[in-house]
Amino acid sequence: MLSVDRRWLYLILFVNIVIFLLAPLRMPASISPPVQKFYDEIEKLQPGDLVMISSNWSASTLAENQPQLEAVITHLMRKQVRFTIISIEAQSRDISYRLAERVTKEKGYQYGEQWAHFGFVPNLAVAIKGMVTDLPNTIKQDVRGTAVAELPVVQGVKSLSEYKMIIDVTPTGSVPVWISYSPKNVKILYCPTSVMAAEAYTYLDSGQIKGMITGAKGAQEYEQLLGITGLGAPFANTISFSHLLIIAFILLGNFAMLMNRLQARREA
Amino acid sequence: MDWLQAFLPLNLERLSVWIGVLCTLAIYSLLYRENPIYRFFEHMYIGLAAGYSLGPLGVDILYRYWIEPIWIQGYWAWAFVVPYGMYLYFIFSERYGWISRIVIGTLIGASAGLFFQEFSSRYLPQLNSTLQKPLWVSDANPDLTYGMIINNILFVIILLSVLTYFTFSYEQRGPVKRVAIWGRWFLMIGLGAIFGNTVMARMALMIGRIYYLLNDWLLIRVGGG
Repeated sequence: MLSVDRRWLYLILFVNIVIFLLAPLRMPASISPPVQKFYDEIEKLQPGDLVMISSNWSASTLAENQPQLEAVITHLMRKQVRFTIISIEAQSRDISYRLAERVTKEKGYQYGEQWAHFGFVPNLAVAIKGMVTDLPNTIKQDVRGTAVAELPVVQGVKSLSEYKMIIDVTPTGSVPVWISYSPKNVKILYCPTSVMAAEAYTYLDSGQIKGMITGAKGAQEYEQLLGITGLGAPFANTISFSHLLIIAFILLGNFAMLMNRLQARREA
Repeated sequence: MDWLQAFLPLNLERLSVWIGVLCTLAIYSLLYRENPIYRFFEHMYIGLAAGYSLGPLGVDILYRYWIEPIWIQGYWAWAFVVPYGMYLYFIFSERYGWISRIVIGTLIGASAGLFFQEFSSRYLPQLNSTLQKPLWVSDANPDLTYGMIINNILFVIILLSVLTYFTFSYEQRGPVKRVAIWGRWFLMIGLGAIFGNTVMARMALMIGRIYYLLNDWLLIRVGGG
């Protein structure tokens, strides 16, 4: 068994993923406290409140960040909240813009009136400090080339402190920057990839972030809270069954190694 | 027939999906064995990613914050900003290398200034939250449950043991060493949780690509929906 070519394992994993992505499986998820807190914070928003979404992911972390962003935008639209999106990664500018455009079109949310995309800013710390002092002159234009001061969604808004909430959807370590430089009256919610989540529990514990959706698993829980069918559930189910397969591989490998050692000892 | 028509690369959008699939399969061909196709696509990907970033940099940064203010709004003083930043490249000159230090000094000064704010906003609230954790039920905190008390006590024990582990100013002996060993164990448990999450994240990367192959290329609805 120890001489099995690793490529067979890759093939089995690939087939396993395909099967569970296509299977009409709806396993219920237990809602974790950080996801529940995230949901409750958005529920507290009033129609017309303003939210900043920081979307910094690209195609490589699509499986985790896309279901998160879709679910969050759906919830914000349900609450009739105005929102703006900003990206600190060049690739994320177009991906988040296209995604938001698709999701908002389905619900008839108007660009410019109810939401807008501020495009790409390279240095988050400097951009946040600029937005706190003078938001229209820091961002200047949205992705469509319209001056920020002329966008009805942020009409009269001079500073980031007039926002109610910042939601960071990211595979990068950008949340400490938001925590450090954003106004203290603005709540911060966090949607990291699973690999970044463990480090964020300190911020959750100290109340610096108010809620967290961890990877595809968190997105599945959030979709369940919203009562929608998104990508979170199939992705999280596939991850669970892939983990089971990997655990089975590890157990089989260890069992085979143990048997080999026993046989070698007997022969000796 | 409808599926076939939608599947084939008969328009620009479908062509881009087919190119995406070709790139995905070429990159994953590494799992079979190292090969020149993989190498070619790897280099192409890095080049494309770097090239792509130049577009938003040009449009969203250089044009928006430099060219437009100078040419349209007439803020001529901005014309000096980019040449000043480019002084950094004097670092490659033996004779004029000192000029680059002016820019480096500005950057270090700005970073140090930003860090003062970062330290107070990022770490002090955590310190404050740790010191305010109640370890027993009293009249001041009647809503506290026994579960929360146990959680807080565990938090403080783990924090102190891990801090003890990272105390290098003197030789750790006796009870201090035992606490430090506990600290190391707690760290290992924490790192194990991070590693578990890393496996989950890496699996999600692969699932994302296979979703692309099924949903975008083969036009099969994912999740059986």
